[in-house]
Amino acid sequence: MVKRENKKKLNANFQKPLILLIVIIILTILQPSVFLTIDNFKGIMLSISIYGIMVCGTIFPILLGGIDLSVGATAAVSGACVVLTIIRFNYSTTGVILGILVGLAVGVGTGVIHGMIVANFKVPAFLITLATQNIIYGIAQLLTNNQVISCMKPKLFTFLGGGRLLGVPFSIYILIIIVITSYFVLNHTRLGRNIYAVGGNSEASDLSGINSKKIQLIAYAISGFTAALAGIVLASMNQQAIAKAAQGYENDVLTAIVVGGTSLMGGEGSLLGAVWGALLVGMIGNGLRLMGIPSTYHGVVKGIVIIIAVSADAYTRYKNSGLSKGKSTKRFARRANVENN
Amino acid sequence: MEAEKLLVMQNIQKSFNDVQVLKSVDLDINVGEVHALMGENGAGKSTLIKILTGVYPKDGGKIIYLGKEREINSRKDAANLGIGVIYQDFSLIPTLSVVQNIMLGKEKNKFGFLESKKMEQHVINLIKEYGFDINPHAIVETLSIAKRQTVEILKALCEESSLIIMDEPTASLSAKESESLFEIINRLRDKGVSILYISHRLEEVFRLADRLTVLRDGRKEAVVEKGEINPPDVIRLMIGKQLSEATASNALKKSTNEVVLKLENLCKKGLFNNVSFEVHKGEILGIGGLVGAGRTEVLRCIYGADPYDSGNIVFEGEPLPNVVNKTIQKGFGLIPEDRRNQGFVPLLSIEKNIVLTNFDKTSKNGVMNAKKEKKLGQEAVKDLDIRPNNPLIPVGNLSGGNQQKAVLGKWLCRDLKVLLIDEPTAGIDIGAKDEIYKIIENLAKDGVAVILVSSDLQELLRVSTRIVVMRKGKVFKEFASGRITQEDILMAASGIQEKEA
Repeated sequence: MVKRENKKKLNANFQKPLILLIVIIILTILQPSVFLTIDNFKGIMLSISIYGIMVCGTIFPILLGGIDLSVGATAAVSGACVVLTIIRFNYSTTGVILGILVGLAVGVGTGVIHGMIVANFKVPAFLITLATQNIIYGIAQLLTNNQVISCMKPKLFTFLGGGRLLGVPFSIYILIIIVITSYFVLNHTRLGRNIYAVGGNSEASDLSGINSKKIQLIAYAISGFTAALAGIVLASMNQQAIAKAAQGYENDVLTAIVVGGTSLMGGEGSLLGAVWGALLVGMIGNGLRLMGIPSTYHGVVKGIVIIIAVSADAYTRYKNSGLSKGKSTKRFARRANVENN
Repeated sequence: MEAEKLLVMQNIQKSFNDVQVLKSVDLDINVGEVHALMGENGAGKSTLIKILTGVYPKDGGKIIYLGKEREINSRKDAANLGIGVIYQDFSLIPTLSVVQNIMLGKEKNKFGFLESKKMEQHVINLIKEYGFDINPHAIVETLSIAKRQTVEILKALCEESSLIIMDEPTASLSAKESESLFEIINRLRDKGVSILYISHRLEEVFRLADRLTVLRDGRKEAVVEKGEINPPDVIRLMIGKQLSEATASNALKKSTNEVVLKLENLCKKGLFNNVSFEVHKGEILGIGGLVGAGRTEVLRCIYGADPYDSGNIVFEGEPLPNVVNKTIQKGFGLIPEDRRNQGFVPLLSIEKNIVLTNFDKTSKNGVMNAKKEKKLGQEAVKDLDIRPNNPLIPVGNLSGGNQQKAVLGKWLCRDLKVLLIDEPTAGIDIGAKDEIYKIIENLAKDGVAVILVSSDLQELLRVSTRIVVMRKGKVFKEFASGRITQEDILMAASGIQEKEA
């Protein structure tokens, strides 16, 4: 039985790279001269760098069985905070540093508030973050006075999203650093272990001495932090602040995470899977653009791909887990309990 | 006078995986009587009920209902015959009203429109007919558990049930609520409805039942008429005299070691009252009693998982903080009652589950040490003989016994002082049970003070070195000397003081 399980796991491990490879091969055949080039790959990475950063943080509440729908709005507010602070401080270096700190603090603060409400009032995270999404978006509109505020200097600021290091856009370095950090936290720290435990069974975690409320608070704070960071990089990339800057980004973030095999029920999923999901979504968008398909159709194609990916994943998991069997065991367990009482 | 038979079950047999749970059970119920079904855990009561209600098919035997032999293959077949069941976990929809719940699936309509008034009237008539006290428009989730039970009973009556099965109906009711349930049961009987009543609480059974059938070990042991027999005799029938003596306890004794943990007048409103006892180093204190006697609640309060109202918990001479994390630091551990929901994280591996209570050993400044984790996992799998012996397998994929060993593994590598154990072997096969008992006994030998709550009397007698019995939230009796039997515990749990030596 152990052997069979290992085999299943092996298959599951191969499944993701395999799908990615197939997509790459298809796109290479369709666009032989353009797709498989370093420049195009950089383009893909650049296009996913913003929501890729968000993915690394938003996966935390999702692993807890929660969600964060406010990341797009949070990014916009942070971007506005940075730009406004820089302008206030007359485009000085101090302004940039202060602006970044303010932007990040706003993100973390928002996350802490989410975490407090979710943990203490037992409100579904979906509802809370849906509500705060509106509030934060409104604040972004107030801050920017609903106008585009451009900010093309200083260099220190524009470099974050627009600069290049060794020919590679700097935002890609930021993405890589965040991916590595998030991977390390989830897999090699006590916090990461606690996240998976609380997401898998919060009652058992509490009885093991884990403070599940604290863990929830931290998870939402991390999600807010990465959203803010992404917003700052985005503002720098666009050299402007605008309330609509990252509207709809939460969709891409959630898509990447869910396509990457993270369960919305919590307790199960991996950062590498989510990064894979982000790459897949980015590549499909890129391929569609290369083929000259009008952007009006992109949503439809993306949606179909997501449905296929998620259904295939859910179905294989259902078959592997023997859920139907599991269900009856659970029922059995309950009956056994009744008998024991 | 020969009473009219509503139900006759003859020579019912049932096996699961070659284990014969029901060897030969007969049961007959008269029209308009309250019939009690008694037996120890595992005697086959629940299996019999499930065969009667079509949950399990029977392997052999006959079911005669209202004079005809019947095949009951589904819940629906049973309902059509007029057999209604009041489940412990209620099958009501919390967001709907009483009327809507009762009429669920039986909605009356005209041209596709619901006839709300007609349905309402139907339910109101039913409530009046049986004299229930319930608001038909109340939303079910706003009702108390007792009222929900009333709704369940109404639902069964609405299906024109002639037999209503109640499985431990008073398990989660207060004394007052139980009283009104008894009234309802008496009224139902007067209206000619038969009740099959299953309960561990002897005093209830003796008050209500017209007759009772005792099952033991998958067989019908006896059928007893009201007034023919007294509680101690029924207990003897349930346990079986010889078996009872064969499984007498160890020689119980009061430990002379130092007192590790002391409870002084611990109270929690509605759950337990003035609970006081001491636990010595290296002893296994068994706590017996019926479900709902307050045993689990006391354990959880000691551990810090729940707050208590008044009283003191003293550990090694100092007051014990009421916070899980702090009690763990002081050397406490808990094997919780509901293994699957409270004991472990099913998706995580054995290793990672064990690490959950051992972050102080496996991490430094929040960063995990993979080598130490691995070592803990491997040691636990080896020491506890968890199978399959791979620490990377998710605990949810293990068998019940191995899951419980993994839960024990969370504590064994710690410097334990007090281990609180709640129903350690529920749903676990005999081989694994023995292994778990050995682990517990070895812990006690190493000086850990163990408190063991168990409804499995054989287990309690086998493992404990001293036993207290709780009843209705109070410590009712302590056994600290000699050998005692299951009978002694059951009598104490039922509130019967010894009448004979």
